[in-house]
Amino acid sequence: MEETDHPAVPGSRDVAAVLRTDPLAALLGARLAHPVVLGCVLFALVVAAIVLGPSSESRFIYTDF
Amino acid sequence: MTVLRPLAFALAVLVSLLAIADVVFAATFPSAPRLSENFSSAFVRLELARLRAQPPETIVLGDSVLWGYDVSARESVPALLERRGIRAANFAYQGGSPVNTYATLRAILASGVRPASVVFNVNQKTFNAADSAYSVVHPSMWELARPLFSSGDARLVTTPDDAQTLDARLDRTIARYWQLYAMRADLREALFGDVDAGHALDALLEGVTGAGARRRAAHRPKPSDFEGTYDLTPLDDSNVSAHFLKRTIALLAAERIPAIAILTPTNHTLLHAYVDGPEYAANLAYVRRSLARGGIVVIDADRAFGPDDFFDNDHLTAAASARLATRVARELARR
Repeated sequence: MEETDHPAVPGSRDVAAVLRTDPLAALLGARLAHPVVLGCVLFALVVAAIVLGPSSESRFIYTDF
Repeated sequence: MTVLRPLAFALAVLVSLLAIADVVFAATFPSAPRLSENFSSAFVRLELARLRAQPPETIVLGDSVLWGYDVSARESVPALLERRGIRAANFAYQGGSPVNTYATLRAILASGVRPASVVFNVNQKTFNAADSAYSVVHPSMWELARPLFSSGDARLVTTPDDAQTLDARLDRTIARYWQLYAMRADLREALFGDVDAGHALDALLEGVTGAGARRRAAHRPKPSDFEGTYDLTPLDDSNVSAHFLKRTIALLAAERIPAIAILTPTNHTLLHAYVDGPEYAANLAYVRRSLARGGIVVIDADRAFGPDDFFDNDHLTAAASARLATRVARELARR
């Protein structure tokens, strides 16, 4: 049967085809749904936020010239 | 319900990973040659725990002059002492003052670290009530030293206005249980060599474009920059810095720790209009007398350096720092 776009979403036929045929997209879709992977992703995000976050600790004001 | 269970599991994985990372982080975080601008109390605790295992011969306390302002950590006086065979720990920090020296010494001794000797500097500018560090202790050091201060001494310390806000309390509570969070400033400093990635990127761009070098070359301290930096009112016990200097002297005597005090090198050529008078000399003599009475060896470096040895009013060039280190090393060897 020939695929057609969803009436409300132009181009949806192409996206659906990619998701079905691209093994990487399928793999990511399945793995991200797994709680262990989600926990690891959250961990990476938390650590990245701490490492890359802006300094907000400059509370000690001193004068040097 | 079907959504909540995997989500709870993912959160459990997150917490477990953070707990494992915290243990690994605390065990492997490297020692720093000197305290960063925003050092955390967690980092000081970690450093002190390491020093307990291998006590240093000398602990250096004081302000940016000994910390090594505008010179690399390798060119700071404590690092140069190390190169001369003296195991020295640099606990001086930018914005130091007598109350900061006292707080740091209290925190170090309370941690069980007992150095064979202490070297510290006394900077005349910190006796000025207008000085930013006159009665303010670095918040991370204050966190460690506050319980060790008598109520009378604590009343003399100016605490930050935001210390009791909900934000600050929450921050302290999280930091108590989460080492990575508590040491985030130290981690960023270790990774980027700056307070955060943004500042490090700025510095990198300035280095590439030469803007930083041009700005430094254009920065020539003028005498008028230092108007009001030195207060020549005669010193007495009502001065907070004089009070905590005497507390430090008494503590060193009570603990029987030999100490050397450096009267901070001062650029008299630059500051001539503000410091070259009998009042300054009298205040310097007051400090020298107080130290000598407590049995502390004094290295009077106030006029020991020429104008070319300074970046500004009191910060020494790398070559001058090396000369000061030689003098301190010689004095330590005599003891």
